[in-house]
Amino acid sequence: METVLSINQLTKNFGRLCAVNRLDLEVKRGQVFGMLGPNGSGKTTTLGMLMGVVNPTSGSFSWFGEQPTNLTRKKIGAVLEHPIFYPYLSGQKNLELNAMIKGADPNNIPKVLELVELASRKQDKYKTYSLGMKQRLAIASALVSDPIILILDEPTNGLDPMGIAEIRDIIRKIAADGKTIILASHLLDEVQKVCTHFAVLRRGTLMHCGPVDEVGKGEEIVEVQAYHDDLSVLLQEFVGSASIKKENGAFQVMMKDRFHSHDLNRFLFDKGIVVSHLITKKKTLEKQFLEILSEAQHSNIIKN
Amino acid sequence: MLHLLKIDLKKLTSYRTFWVICGLYFLTLGFTTASGMEILKWIASKGAEFGTSININRIPLYHFPDIWQNLIWISGLFKLILSVMVVISITNEYQYRTIRQNIIDGFSRWEFILSKILTNLLLSLMSVAMILLITIVTGLIYTPEIEWTYFFTGMEFFVAYFLEVFAFLSYALMLGIFIQRSGLTIVLLMLSHMIEAIIKLNLFRESLENSIGWLKQFFPLESITNLVPLPFARYAFQEIQDYVSFTAVAIALVWTFLFNYFAYLKLKKSDI
Repeated sequence: METVLSINQLTKNFGRLCAVNRLDLEVKRGQVFGMLGPNGSGKTTTLGMLMGVVNPTSGSFSWFGEQPTNLTRKKIGAVLEHPIFYPYLSGQKNLELNAMIKGADPNNIPKVLELVELASRKQDKYKTYSLGMKQRLAIASALVSDPIILILDEPTNGLDPMGIAEIRDIIRKIAADGKTIILASHLLDEVQKVCTHFAVLRRGTLMHCGPVDEVGKGEEIVEVQAYHDDLSVLLQEFVGSASIKKENGAFQVMMKDRFHSHDLNRFLFDKGIVVSHLITKKKTLEKQFLEILSEAQHSNIIKN
Repeated sequence: MLHLLKIDLKKLTSYRTFWVICGLYFLTLGFTTASGMEILKWIASKGAEFGTSININRIPLYHFPDIWQNLIWISGLFKLILSVMVVISITNEYQYRTIRQNIIDGFSRWEFILSKILTNLLLSLMSVAMILLITIVTGLIYTPEIEWTYFFTGMEFFVAYFLEVFAFLSYALMLGIFIQRSGLTIVLLMLSHMIEAIIKLNLFRESLENSIGWLKQFFPLESITNLVPLPFARYAFQEIQDYVSFTAVAIALVWTFLFNYFAYLKLKKSDI
């Protein structure tokens, strides 16, 4: 697949603080790429460098295999941190300005306003918008030039659950169009729901990079409930169980490699027990993320 | 180029403060320069009441060719109002962080600053056009006998006036980019002349006045003031400089270039 973005040993120091430390990363066309990391891990600084507002200390990156200039930025739609607009201009006029700077066709404006459901408020001044509307206008402005690639930095920051769901829907719609999306977030649930690939940053260093699909692979956890007094004893007898925990009245069985929920189900059925509740739980991105970070912490402690 | 100017004007023309300040500027500028003769007449009539007669015909304020330098010198005083608008325009971009989004959207830093410089050029040209019109109209009204050879003597003051306004707006833009806060920038802008005067006072003590006094003309704000010399002393029978000095233009041009260049350099090096 065609490489859209390639980052090579990118570094940014703010005085003695190293915000981004020799970062290598590749994003290919069509990926929805999630950038994860705790607050202050260097996500926004990285995106700032990619968008030309932060000057890198060293290292390089290329968009579409070319050296970055302001012309490459015109092909990218990006919103970093907060939505930024002229508060005294209407939503419509703000988008007209964005389109002029990007050299985009102003006929796209009604389309993108429709997509983010702001068409009815387009003549109102930006400063009268609610936070959710501001975030949606920001997405509209990023889309106005019909970009090949979209960068969103915490697009659901500070939104209520409904606002989050709306933004998620919009991102899904855009991704379905085949656009490449880079999404920085610390909402892991979000990333797992919409992203195809993800990277984890910690204190400016890349900790992990890979597809989201692989997160669920490996050991499986099965949650079981049955009307039987000796269920825990029986579960321990099962050859496939690695460990058993009781949580909220149900048993959490950690499965050994190559054992699955249907093996457990058959085993219990053979013992004459019919389960009332059986769920296969895959490892969440949240869990993996915390593991990656704690592994990093451990290796740091060992190193020191 | 025109595209960049259009973008900056689009930011400004929906901004009420822009219209208020520009309106105030052009109104006060126009009113003051156009009404000088009437004020003089009024003073004379008041003087007559108290028994002192002033012969206003001995003060040819609005006669060609005196009128060029007279009105242009007065107009120069108003550029401070316009420069406040320039400061607000640039510091707003920092306050709202829209400068950041402009760059993200695909402006190069040079294009961003060029769009501001082009607006400065436009505002300077509009000032020149307005004063040119007022001078011609009032000159035709108040000059008793128009001799066409006199009509065009002194037109070079318009070149100097243009440079005077543009240089000062460039200075305001640079100050805005370095300080980034509107209040502080405006205060510094207003105190600039005073600060420069204090520096000069300390540098050129009496003993040095004769040996290196000529260096004064190279100071940035002094170079802007030197473009159009104060004309009114001539009505007290004093010798004045009634022409535009080539050296003054050259020095002011260099400073204008430097103001804009420093502004660009600062913008280029900073993270925004």
